Amino acid sequence: MRDVAIIGAGMIPFGHREEDSLTDMLARASLHALDDAGLGESTVDGLYVANAGGGLFQRQFAIASSLADRLSLLPAAAETIENGPASGSSALKMGYLAIASGFHDTVLVSGGEKMRVGPIRRITDMVAAMTHPQAEYPYGVTMPGLGGMFARLYMEKYGVTDEHLLAVSLKNHEMGARNPFAHIRSVATRRDIFDGEMAEINNPILADPLRLYDLCPVSDGAAALVLSTVEIAKASGKPYVTIAGIGQATDTHTLAERDAPTELRAVTLAAQRAFEMARLTPADIHIAELHDAFTILEIAASECVGFFPRGRGGQAAAEGETALGGRIPINMSGGLKTRGHPMGATGVAQAVDIVWQLRHELPADRQVQNARAGLTLNFGGFANNVLCFIFKQGDA
Amino acid sequence: MSAPAPLPLYRCAHCGRLHHPFHDRCLDCKRRDFDIIHPQGNARLLTYTVIVSLPEGFDQPALILGLAEFENGARALGQIKAGSAKELRTGMAVASRWETIRFVNGQPIHGIKFEPLE
Repeated sequence: MRDVAIIGAGMIPFGHREEDSLTDMLARASLHALDDAGLGESTVDGLYVANAGGGLFQRQFAIASSLADRLSLLPAAAETIENGPASGSSALKMGYLAIASGFHDTVLVSGGEKMRVGPIRRITDMVAAMTHPQAEYPYGVTMPGLGGMFARLYMEKYGVTDEHLLAVSLKNHEMGARNPFAHIRSVATRRDIFDGEMAEINNPILADPLRLYDLCPVSDGAAALVLSTVEIAKASGKPYVTIAGIGQATDTHTLAERDAPTELRAVTLAAQRAFEMARLTPADIHIAELHDAFTILEIAASECVGFFPRGRGGQAAAEGETALGGRIPINMSGGLKTRGHPMGATGVAQAVDIVWQLRHELPADRQVQNARAGLTLNFGGFANNVLCFIFKQGDA
Repeated sequence: MSAPAPLPLYRCAHCGRLHHPFHDRCLDCKRRDFDIIHPQGNARLLTYTVIVSLPEGFDQPALILGLAEFENGARALGQIKAGSAKELRTGMAVASRWETIRFVNGQPIHGIKFEPLE
């Protein structure tokens, strides 16, 4: 297997991009990544496009073929990759394998989703279609509903409190406000959403015990990466990042069938496999982007990947250990909570943010000093298909 | 007391593991033969939530859902018949009913509804 480098990264601001089609967004993010890689007028050998819901949201299939044409990447090989909200990470994995195996020398990985396409109830229903078609979906369960049931159990079992959830939300809002690519760029205050006289109105319960400020928004957006061999990356003379480890694991489709519904077994396994491949440990990681579709998931995932002992993640967030300048900064992009969660884009966007961190390109109010290794964690479904990546700063 | 909801449970004919929903191979021993049985007795509420942002197809302001474990160890998601979450607590006993859980194209879809017993 050959070592794989990321030589280009690009993203467009997430949000409500009413004027853009799905292909517009994918094309713009891809052009940013191609330009960043210095491939402005060149092509790539392969194109992997992550998209989860184009068939549902836009009645658009074969999106990779469309993007190859739009970007004049012909005759590059092109595939669309779908793995629910982890589609972006799966596309990145496929791009990695194509380079590592020697099948391709340069590939473009582009992820995008256009989700703000109608009334919220319709979008909620479309997203809920990833739950089990007989044992969950007919009952009216939603992804926040699964999050609410998980949160209640996890909070009771491990002593996670509303204050801990609040700490994650405030941190991710603060970081999102500093991120020009984030969907939600407003700072939230404790008074606004927790103990002020308007808190119940500003921050209503949506899936008990989770509130509005515990949930990621519905977003449009796209992000892209260019991958190559390390030899090509070194020859470019530009800073690059290597993919040092990848882990993936699945779990039961329904939450009810897990041995313990509080255990995110696929998260634990995916992280263990990624660390094993990278020959690193959680203590070696300087920055992480974790799948915080709900605040409780950032806390649980920070424990499952090994940053904190079980039951310690909430308190660690409350004590600032996961903030900028803390022991292990988490979601310095604002995370899914405020950057947004356009499903096909998310895994790619997480990696883009880590690439920028490891190239030390971000403004001081988001840059983790001396970051040399980073981690991303991306869920497909409710933690039933999870990918974990470990990235390292490339040698000069 | 009425009978528990006739939810189909798939018991592995080799190792005895209970499954719901159906799997083609046992989650433990990977064998393919199952006996279909049904829940026994009441159930214990493991967790619950009140959803107020409902998907299309539900014309009501909120929906209470929960996971419960039956006396034979099987677990299932169901809707909960309660006025509010204040009537609920984890670990409480619930009965299960087999009732209409939604309508699709005007046709009723049946499934589990749990009802607090305390």
